[in-house]
Amino acid sequence: MAIAKAERLMNLALCLLGTRRPLTKRELRTSIEAYLEAGNDESFNRMFERDKDDLRELGLVIDTVEGLDGDVGYRAQHDSNRLPPIALDAEEATALGLAARVWQQARLAGAASGALQKLHAAGGMPQYDGDGEGHGPAIPHSTLEPHIPAREAAFEPLMLACRDRRPVVFDYRKSNAARPERRQVEPWTLECWRGHWYLAGFDRDRQAERVFRISRITGPVRSRATAFTAPVPDQVTVRETVERWAGESASRTARIRLRPGSGYPLRARATQVRELADGWAELEIPYGHGLDAWLVEFGPDVIVLEPAELRAEVVDRLRAVAKG
Amino acid sequence: MASNAIDQTRRMLSLVTYLRDRPGARIDDVARAFGITADELISDLDVLPMCGTSFRGGDLLEIDTDGERIWWRNADALGSDTAQPLRLASDEATALLVAARAVATLPGLRESDRDALQRATAKLEAAAGESAGASSRLSVTFESEGGVFADVDRAIAERRRLWLRYYSPARDELTEREVDPIRLFAVGHTYLEGWCRLSEARRTFRLDRVAEIKLLDEPADPPPVELRDLSEGLVQPAAEDPEVVIEVGPGGRWVAEYYPYDSAEELPDGGLRVTLRTPDPASLRRLALRLGRDGRIVAPRELAENAKEAARLALAAYGE
Repeated sequence: MAIAKAERLMNLALCLLGTRRPLTKRELRTSIEAYLEAGNDESFNRMFERDKDDLRELGLVIDTVEGLDGDVGYRAQHDSNRLPPIALDAEEATALGLAARVWQQARLAGAASGALQKLHAAGGMPQYDGDGEGHGPAIPHSTLEPHIPAREAAFEPLMLACRDRRPVVFDYRKSNAARPERRQVEPWTLECWRGHWYLAGFDRDRQAERVFRISRITGPVRSRATAFTAPVPDQVTVRETVERWAGESASRTARIRLRPGSGYPLRARATQVRELADGWAELEIPYGHGLDAWLVEFGPDVIVLEPAELRAEVVDRLRAVAKG
Repeated sequence: MASNAIDQTRRMLSLVTYLRDRPGARIDDVARAFGITADELISDLDVLPMCGTSFRGGDLLEIDTDGERIWWRNADALGSDTAQPLRLASDEATALLVAARAVATLPGLRESDRDALQRATAKLEAAAGESAGASSRLSVTFESEGGVFADVDRAIAERRRLWLRYYSPARDELTEREVDPIRLFAVGHTYLEGWCRLSEARRTFRLDRVAEIKLLDEPADPPPVELRDLSEGLVQPAAEDPEVVIEVGPGGRWVAEYYPYDSAEELPDGGLRVTLRTPDPASLRRLALRLGRDGRIVAPRELAENAKEAARLALAAYGE
């Protein structure tokens, strides 16, 4: 049976951490059983390169040192790999443990538990075990269970591209477009708001900042091994853009009539409410993008008074529904 | 699976550090500290004796267990620094820091938790050093209603019943009900899951739709319910729920982003034919009205008629 990958990686890590002088590929190959079984040079080389990348992903700093004889050696020095001292008190550890459970995305969930394990191993977390009796004082804390969904296939490649600052290419379908369009983007940040993920970055074709909703990415995300061409701003304002899409940055007001007992959320955001003699109410509400579609949802329970433009849009939408 | 090998390697590296400092550590304690089951720990302990600095030279880890405690017989052979605590990787720092920052800014969180998270974040940032750099490229905001959140949190902690005035968008109405809280969770928005005494059923309430809330003195007494796996999505229609078919044009494709569906078939005009299930098709009248010229309900027939009728009534009020 082939030797499991975890065992192979573990051996490579221990060899690199345990050595004082850089070890050559040849030396590593003879020290690690899985590499001896790897077959020819080519498959060994591929495996070795991948393994080094995997260990680097796990945080290991591996130095590449060229020897006098031209041979390349590898080692993971203690100084550059040591976790600086850290000590969390019981409250901090409990709160962090709560936060660490938020990720439902496999890579980040694994990274979060891995980080907590490192802190435990380093003695940075409070010890309750003693003699195995009792598990220490329970710290009262918020009963909240926070979860961050990230089910989209595009999430992980975009996260890595943001981290490593690599340009990406993907097909993107705008909300009202019939077909997706190829986009070339220098990705800056990913932001989750109201449970949806958005990417902000520099759109190379449009030569401007753009925000993408990642559920609208169709097909794979490919990253390019080239550098960014535009500077990354200090502050990226994904949320402002999304709020504008959602019609939450209204600059005008609309006046509507509301049937008794209906439209609570309209009342809740009204800037003015006047109760009328017939039981209906007249409201002034912020008028931003998308208000027409929202008001139509209330059917005959809402009548738009002004502006005329909004009234016309709502009537137009109602006609389309009535026609079927 | 490759990601499992990565996670297992990461865990075993930490295990070596942990065991070096704690000879005779108990299986149960180690599993708890590492957030894994005893079985997972034992499978790691099966691998570790195959690992070392040279399998030929015989420098392998002599780690064994009697099923209760774990012993590392040659911890010194490896060199004291080899099992040192390892620095955090960029993804590790990001996973913890982004989560901690997101929770710490949640309105309504207990101040003691907020303070603890902020202190932990500062310590982590310092310990992570440059590994923390990329964590600002990922951020999460949870929406919450602070006052409602704090009351629900307290009700769960004190096991007390709640009284709610709650807005149901499906019916566009406010209802009053008593609820025995089961849990408080955030998935973008923040929700209360509880046993509703009005419907005698489990219900999920979005906190920003709570118009009014009161903590009652009566103890909460929800029947035992199995907690749902939230990674499956918030809305999990039942197989017996009625089917609704909606056809949308390109401008109505967002329907597939907001409603969990069974199938979404591409249409020649760039639109979609979406089939979904819902316990209450009448609640989709709002959707039918909102879609306007961007789509229509195909089935059930009554729902389509109902939306048309509502539109006609509304038009009458405009004198049309």
